[in-house]
Amino acid sequence: MTGLHRAVKEALVIALVAATLGFMNSALRGKGVFAAVGSPSSPLHAPVSPTMIHLPEAKDLFESEEALFIDARHEFEYAHGHIPGALNLPISEFDARRTVVDFLPKDRILITYCDGVECNSSINLATKLHEAGFSGVRIFFGGWNEWTSQDLPTEATRP
Amino acid sequence: MNKFLSNEYNVLTARVLVGGLLILSSADKLGDPSLFAGSIENYKLVSGTFATVFATVLPWIELLCGISIIAGVLLQGSSLLAGVLLSVFTIAVVTALVRDLDISCGCFTQDPSASKIGWLKLAENTVLIALTVFLYYSRNSRFSLHDYIRNHSGQTESQRKQVH
Repeated sequence: MTGLHRAVKEALVIALVAATLGFMNSALRGKGVFAAVGSPSSPLHAPVSPTMIHLPEAKDLFESEEALFIDARHEFEYAHGHIPGALNLPISEFDARRTVVDFLPKDRILITYCDGVECNSSINLATKLHEAGFSGVRIFFGGWNEWTSQDLPTEATRP
Repeated sequence: MNKFLSNEYNVLTARVLVGGLLILSSADKLGDPSLFAGSIENYKLVSGTFATVFATVLPWIELLCGISIIAGVLLQGSSLLAGVLLSVFTIAVVTALVRDLDISCGCFTQDPSASKIGWLKLAENTVLIALTVFLYYSRNSRFSLHDYIRNHSGQTESQRKQVH
């Protein structure tokens, strides 16, 4: 029992030193918890990170044309069908299409989506956009599958 | 069993393997905690703020545990902490697999296009947890920093005696 007590104490010391180093590193480098504290993109300030939205909100934002939808799926999937007006930006091509990212509107809500709950490229894309300075990023997690299941409008660039 | 636990080469191999992997896995996360926070969020177990706090602290725990295990300093505490961390990571991987989440592990690299989590990752973590348990109960401090300092100071003492 004393052996376990000593081990727990040692573990706590390591965890405490690690936490101190982690917070100091974050404060000095402006990454992590103290990422640019005071700036709107700080994780401790709203928006904390891109927020998830559900179909009704996605539909409302689509109908009011307040948001720009960004399709994170592969190009051929996008070509066969996507939410009308959506822009295609596969996560794997994010860096290669940096010029496209630079021209995205900063004053509009950006909604990322992929196939649906079984993929995470919409989340990864939203995270990258958030890091690139876009503050109004939302993730439509139900994605393409939920959108088409409700017979909502779609368009295709290839039959 | 005691013989196996106290075999200096078994302990050294386990220390280098576990410690090395912990240091390796901390490297990419230390570089950019926000990317690691994204990887944690992908598991959909904690909110954004918690993910950011974990991403700020966890890589440093991995690094310190790794250094401590390799050096053989505070070995019981660091192997206990590493074992607990690996168990938590493993539970997160299992829940993600059960929920059919198509996500990358975020273990060694934060590249979203890196290989996805799978049962192999689970097996890998199980082996590492077993090794931390072995290190926790190991009874040999040879090749450790503690051992080196003790021997070195012992040698200096004997040299001093020779001079006098």
